[in-house]
Amino acid sequence: MADDTSIIGKARPRIDGPAKVTGAARYPSDEPAPGAVWAFLVTSAIARGKVKSFDLDEAKAVPGVLDILTHWNVGGDAKPPAPTSKGKPTTTLESDRIWHDGQIIAVVVAETYEAAREAANRVHVDYDEEKPSATFGSPGAQEEKREPGDHEDPKIGDPEKAFGAAPVKIDQRYETPTQHHNPMELFTTTCFWQGDKLTIYEPSQFVYGLKNNVAKQLGIDPAKVTVVSRFTGGAFGSKGGTTARTAWIAVAARRLKRPVKLVATRDQGFTIATYRAETRHRLRLGADANGRLTALIHEGWELTSRPSQYNVSGTESTARIYACPNVETAVNLVHADRNTPGFMRAPPDTPYMFPLESAMDELAYALKMDPVELRRLNDAPKDPINGLPWSSRSLMKCYDAAAERFGWKQRNPVPGAMRDGDWKIGWGCATAAYPSNIAPCGATVRLDGDKASIGLAGQDLGTGAYTVIAMTAAQALKLPVENVSVELGHTDLPAASLAAGSSHTASICHAVAAACDKVNAKRAQGETGVIEETAANVPNGLPDSAMDKINHGQMAISRGFGRKDCTAYAFGAHFIEVRVHGRTGEIRTPRMVSAFASGTIINPLTAYSQYMGGMIWGISAALFEKTEIDLRAARYTNDNLADYLIPVNADAPEIDVLLVPEEDNAVNPMGIKGIGEIGIVGVNAAVANAVFHATGRRIRRLPIRIEDMV
Amino acid sequence: MTFTVTPLRRWRITRRKLLKGGMGLLAAGAWARFFGFFRHARAAETVRPPSTITTRLRINGRDNTFKLDSRVTLLDALREHAGLTGSKKGCDHGQCGACTVHVNGRRVLSCLTLAATADGKDVATIEGLAEGKKLHPVQQAFVDHDAFQCGYCTPGQIMSAVACIKEKHAETDADIREYMSGNLCRCAAYPKIVAAIKQARGATERG
Ligand code: FES
Ligand code: FES
Repeated sequence: MADDTSIIGKARPRIDGPAKVTGAARYPSDEPAPGAVWAFLVTSAIARGKVKSFDLDEAKAVPGVLDILTHWNVGGDAKPPAPTSKGKPTTTLESDRIWHDGQIIAVVVAETYEAAREAANRVHVDYDEEKPSATFGSPGAQEEKREPGDHEDPKIGDPEKAFGAAPVKIDQRYETPTQHHNPMELFTTTCFWQGDKLTIYEPSQFVYGLKNNVAKQLGIDPAKVTVVSRFTGGAFGSKGGTTARTAWIAVAARRLKRPVKLVATRDQGFTIATYRAETRHRLRLGADANGRLTALIHEGWELTSRPSQYNVSGTESTARIYACPNVETAVNLVHADRNTPGFMRAPPDTPYMFPLESAMDELAYALKMDPVELRRLNDAPKDPINGLPWSSRSLMKCYDAAAERFGWKQRNPVPGAMRDGDWKIGWGCATAAYPSNIAPCGATVRLDGDKASIGLAGQDLGTGAYTVIAMTAAQALKLPVENVSVELGHTDLPAASLAAGSSHTASICHAVAAACDKVNAKRAQGETGVIEETAANVPNGLPDSAMDKINHGQMAISRGFGRKDCTAYAFGAHFIEVRVHGRTGEIRTPRMVSAFASGTIINPLTAYSQYMGGMIWGISAALFEKTEIDLRAARYTNDNLADYLIPVNADAPEIDVLLVPEEDNAVNPMGIKGIGEIGIVGVNAAVANAVFHATGRRIRRLPIRIEDMV
Repeated sequence: MTFTVTPLRRWRITRRKLLKGGMGLLAAGAWARFFGFFRHARAAETVRPPSTITTRLRINGRDNTFKLDSRVTLLDALREHAGLTGSKKGCDHGQCGACTVHVNGRRVLSCLTLAATADGKDVATIEGLAEGKKLHPVQQAFVDHDAFQCGYCTPGQIMSAVACIKEKHAETDADIREYMSGNLCRCAAYPKIVAAIKQARGATERG
């Protein structure tokens, strides 16, 4: 807890703020690359089939064109990146095979960006085209049950029997749409070789992952690969895995012996990286007449590419949020001719909490109960699946704090009862929860008199990592924060894990604290002069070898629900007001109050921003975002920022974020639970619940649009 | 002046459909070869050497002369030819505002402006806003309010905000929200951007 002398827990502007507001912050495509030539991608115009032939004459005639890479001339030069899940990756230039629309099939390199772009537009392709399957229900889409392994399918009690016997039942189906991260920064890659050493400038959430993956793809020693990503212009999961483009830019740079720079276009970003796949759900809730849950059965369907088994399986969370003696979950995969999906902000919980938190609201109406009280009644004293204690759980504290600030007591629960002129007013709420994850991490601390510099290969994606590291070190070394400098995003620094899954702050701060402890020990022994120490922190429950995995660019993580000692989750509660116009059906969200308890908050200022960003993402998921798919061509049709709707300034509500104090001594030594994901979780349901309250219409398919209101 | 790229993929499909629909007598492959023949004939005349234009830009008060491909946008001229990478590319299509700079005192989207059309004009970018180490009041307010996260949209937001205040479009919250809605922030720092502009509005008026 923060006291007067403590740095941790006191709001502080970002130490990298001045660099960001002056344009000095260097994102990877800002790094100077003298003599660089330009790459432009050619992507497939069909979703399934083969490249029969290329006609490159016209492209080659464009002045300044230096090289055109296709599977004919470089197919054997790189392998596809290792997939982040079971199954196989789709391929690009390795063969003539086309797995999805917009797949990279050629790379044009020219002296200038303009020439590369023109030449790419003059590449003519003949295809052997087959009829593609676009999504759920498309002819040719293949469904299979997802076997346990990477994800478990919890089962306790006798759910079918309990559901059959329940006096109050909800049995509904829900849908969430395809979404693309669309970070403001494009997918860029610059590669250059110095002898047999490769340097890559690319925005990344995991520079060690990228380094090792590309080395493996090219068949070279990872020690010869350097990756730099000092600043990342938003990621939200999209820059976590290695995508196919990087190795081909490296190959192009090797062939030409010059730096090659790629700034992929916004529309290409929809198909050369990952996305949040559409999901479907059947959710059944059974309750006794008082509202106590007796059965919870959640079955999910997720879309993926033909060869990949990628899935997010948010049932691992929905099974354990509420106290219920009879629980069963299952997840199915549907394969179609699409690019492989990947992590996107709160990957499992954003789509899977939507059905649960909608159904809880439906149950509250069926029981004529206040939805907050229904959650209170079913608040789980321990993890209902394995009986372990929670590391800490402040769900109802969050509900009470946010309800009070929101003015929930004034709510008339009858749908359509609250109005303001032509506007129908609806108030809705929902639970937020996210597992507290932590990964192994290394850090170097160098103390030189009263100045310290910290280095580790973690990332600041906008999360405030630079600042929380400086604060952690300043507190440990008893220095002013101004005297601490931080370097991130470079593979010359000690390895850090993937900056994702709300694990990064906990992972990096423990490593920094461990390195500071070693420095302090040396100081205590009377050592003076420059002291430099490197330490690694391996979280409890993981073997020491887990750090080795991170060094080799692999994943190792202790998940909040996979632990032996306790189950660790952060919790929160959302309250939102929607206004639906009686005549036009326009939906607005004028205000929102959310409360979160996530253990130790190192920097309340940046934490607020993270939560707030997540909340607006949640509104976006409920009312704006959907990647539209042409069902005949299996193609994304709104692949630009004008047609892919995200909130603009005028769409953002008045926001109040309450940071509920929570001390958690079990989750990890510093009590850090992570905050990047939880802000979005459950907001989609809170909005849908508010829309029901305003209009009496229960919308179970996102996003909710005007057409649902008329 | 707008500058758009015909998306390759769309065009290609259109041509395919044309082939299949209108000239179904020959197999598609045969038609492709037929068209290929024309393409060869066409290549020589349609592929023309780029025209180079000498462009003078006064950037942040300093005169510069560039010899540029006539298709180079002001954004790419700044980023790739003048070494000023503060202005960002978020879409290259005028849809996001990350590339906002001032040309002769007015905010413009530099990705939608051909560099040649700014010849002889005054260009102000994020790099020219601070006076030495002293941040411009809008920059300072963005830091104070944590009005960004990843910071990628921030140079554009700040250049827009400076203009927004000057245009007297920052008098009310509703105005700020409306007149800043051309600058997308995927991190969704919007409420804090409004707060920062309100703080800076006073400071710039006093200063
Ligand atoms: S880059 Fe110019 S508006 Fe997006
Ligand atoms: S701060 Fe990341 S896009 Fe605005």
